Amino acid sequence: MAFLSTVDLEQRAGPAVLLNRVNLSVEKGEVFAVIGPTGAGKTTLLRLINLLDRPSAGDIYFDGEKITDPSRNAVHVRRRMAMVFQKPAVFNSTVYENVAYPLKVRGGHGKAARSGVYELLDTIGLGGYAKRKAKTLSGGEAQRVALARAVVTQPDLLLMDEPTANLDPGTVKMIEQLVMQFNRDRGLTVIMSTHDMQQAQRVAGRVGVLMKGELVQVGRPDDIFYSPGNAGIAGFVGMRNLLKGNVIRNESGIAVIDVNGREIEAVSDLRAGSAVEIYIRPEDVVLSMPAPAGSARNNLRCTIRSVAANGPLCTVVADCGFPLEALVTGRSAAEMGLIPGQEVYASFKAAAVRVLPSMPA
Amino acid sequence: MQELWQALVQAVNLIVSLDPEVIEISLRSLYISAASILIAALFCIPMGALIHFHDFKGKRVVINVIQTFYSLPTVVVGLFVFLFISRSGPFGGLELLFTPAAIIIGQVILIMPVLTGMAIGALSGVDKAIRDTAISSGASSTQAMRAILFEARFAVVGALILGFGRAISEVGAALMLGGNIRGYTRVLTTAISLETQRGELVLSLALGIILIGIAMVVSVIMNILLQRY
Amino acid sequence: MKSLVVYRVHRVSITILIACLLLGTILAGCAPAATPPAATGQPSADNKSAQATAFPVIPGTPRFKIATTTSLYDTGLWNYLEPMFEKKANVKLDIVYAGTGAALEYGKRGDVDALVVHDPEAEAKFIADGYGINRRSFAFNHFLIAGPAGDPAGIKGLPPEQAFKKIYEAGKADPTKVKFISRGDNSGTHSKEKLIWQAAGLKYEDVQKSGPWYVEAGKGMGPCLLMASEQGAYILADISTFLAYKGKVNVAPLIEQGDLFLNVYDVMAINPEKVKTAKMLPTANTFINWLMSDDVQNTIATYGVAEYGRPLFNPLKGGGCTEPGCPKLADYTVPVK
Repeated sequence: MAFLSTVDLEQRAGPAVLLNRVNLSVEKGEVFAVIGPTGAGKTTLLRLINLLDRPSAGDIYFDGEKITDPSRNAVHVRRRMAMVFQKPAVFNSTVYENVAYPLKVRGGHGKAARSGVYELLDTIGLGGYAKRKAKTLSGGEAQRVALARAVVTQPDLLLMDEPTANLDPGTVKMIEQLVMQFNRDRGLTVIMSTHDMQQAQRVAGRVGVLMKGELVQVGRPDDIFYSPGNAGIAGFVGMRNLLKGNVIRNESGIAVIDVNGREIEAVSDLRAGSAVEIYIRPEDVVLSMPAPAGSARNNLRCTIRSVAANGPLCTVVADCGFPLEALVTGRSAAEMGLIPGQEVYASFKAAAVRVLPSMPA
Repeated sequence: MQELWQALVQAVNLIVSLDPEVIEISLRSLYISAASILIAALFCIPMGALIHFHDFKGKRVVINVIQTFYSLPTVVVGLFVFLFISRSGPFGGLELLFTPAAIIIGQVILIMPVLTGMAIGALSGVDKAIRDTAISSGASSTQAMRAILFEARFAVVGALILGFGRAISEVGAALMLGGNIRGYTRVLTTAISLETQRGELVLSLALGIILIGIAMVVSVIMNILLQRY
Repeated sequence: MKSLVVYRVHRVSITILIACLLLGTILAGCAPAATPPAATGQPSADNKSAQATAFPVIPGTPRFKIATTTSLYDTGLWNYLEPMFEKKANVKLDIVYAGTGAALEYGKRGDVDALVVHDPEAEAKFIADGYGINRRSFAFNHFLIAGPAGDPAGIKGLPPEQAFKKIYEAGKADPTKVKFISRGDNSGTHSKEKLIWQAAGLKYEDVQKSGPWYVEAGKGMGPCLLMASEQGAYILADISTFLAYKGKVNVAPLIEQGDLFLNVYDVMAINPEKVKTAKMLPTANTFINWLMSDDVQNTIATYGVAEYGRPLFNPLKGGGCTEPGCPKLADYTVPVK
């Protein structure tokens, strides 16, 4: 049986449905990421698991017990879990007292407990901060304190609600590493929500996609990343090129699809006549001049519409009969001298094209 | 104007010479006001928490009513309580009129609105996330309430000092309910009232200075205790 | 979750409130007092009174409460007499300072056990209604009319009724020059004042409404004297308070002779049969007899002599009061049983 599972979990607020028949299953010792856009219901879901709110319908099972049973003492269940929130909330006292708070409410004041707190402060890189007033910490430091506070009691389950949403990259990395360290060393099961797909890929063993209150896809990060279940998921995980077309013909597993008058070849079993949606990852599109490069089956002549810097990379949108987005390194863009109006060749493999039957309107 | 200077001199004299009647009156003022604030706080702070954390129809109205009662005229409260505890009133058998207990009752009623209203204000100032943090850290509901009150401690202590101030400077109800009996229910404010009526202006001012001095000491002590935590 | 927290808090706070009210009440009964609590083993009269008050929630000292008029209080006579009585009768004497009107009200409600007042008409009614019993007189003095030394209304040496008539006319004509401060508080002094207006042929309501020259202060004797001094007004005052305040006020005595000026101080107990909550009759009787005793009468005879050159009050003992209107011998010598 799964360590933590929800059965047909529903949450309503008035007429609005926040969660719709969510069936989640998390194994002991894994790091599970729940991803989805803002407003998808991630926070709602985590709060229900932590028994901060009661569900409108459905049940939650934790380590074999039905914890949504009203007769069950919520405090005891919560004491086996811990939660880190998006905004780090610290008490108006010292760092030590913040981290030691969960121990205090359980009555643990002993010497062993105290040294545990100091050790933990060292682990999170805030050794020596024990007597500092917690309100004087930066956002990143405060969130680390919140994390330490969460794990100080050796919980069985750690819940994290977009814990790095507002932090600088350095702190984000530190926190991700701490989470993975705690998961490895203590066998701590982690359920973390995030809107950052890359973070999920870095940290999680499995990912669940939550959209408009429904759990639409569960799998390993790569599965979601490269084989999104539908257009919505695809858009969310960064598939920028979402096109509609019709299969003209299919030759031994290679479908030729008409998109706005241009032909694209993709790996698919779909028959001729099927209406399809296709997705291409921008980084799978290669731009070259004056002639196409490589052995890709798809080579299209396009005109550049826009070039935008994107950190060390460059997002190039080209008109190939349909809009196509490509991601190239800034250096390549500079070397090729890509500017709007220029003619380029866009190439991509047939295998890079994901094909799904069109959703009914 | 020279009365002010004379008053200051006399105040110092009275304190330094440990004038027994002044000491007795001051201690009684202190005791009665402290008792009033403690009793009121034990009720009003949880009551304020109850109103703050619970959403119910008419919550705004309740808060408005509480704030209206900030301006309760003290003599009216005194008269009201008098009718209850007079020997011919419903609680006459308790023999409370003209005792310090009567003054405490009157003062408790007077400062209850202020304390409750300020407690609600203090709790409103605490981030809602604190409650979630406490609860998800495994706190029971009482433990969470304590954590939130602790977070609001500066504002709560401010409210207590305000309530104490209102109690110790209160005259109307103290006169009506205590009777200003020498050696039993005479407090600083009623003594000031009496001496002013008698034309002893310097003595009245001196007593007033002592009263303010007491209020200051109390406020300072409470703030020191706060800083410790 | 939220409602659970809140419901528990609600119950807890109500319980705590009730506990604290009870606790506070009990504690307050043990508040610091200036003198030690009454001891046991007293003369029989006081044992009864101690037991009579054994019922109340607050344990301990029986307290004997009296209401007294302001003129007796402002002269400091009570400060002197209070410890004497407390030692003699071994009870705590609580003196509540109120005008005759308020004092009678406290008496009717049983909030005090005895009254010391000086308003014969009101007292008579009080006794006739059954509230007061065992009335005795124990001291007397006189009223006087005082006013600005310049005497703008020209009343010096006149009989009181004529003086009042002149003040009335002059005040109505020019309120900035001639003013009168009235107690305005249903006290004994106020009643005497009304009597004099009546003797002057004026209806009191007319006087009240006739103009800003007539000021109803609503305060005690001492404070009214201060006010008269501030405003340069005429005032009817008792000689004792007047003397006691002489150094602080700027009014001159203008008329000191007149039958109407006699002012007798009476004491009476509250009748426990009419006022069920008055419980200390034995102590009240002791108090009344004590006021008529040699000790007190001698004290009254000498009180104030050192400071003012003459006693502030006159004892009745020894027949010192010889004018018309003085109380009969029985009223100030026959002890109460």
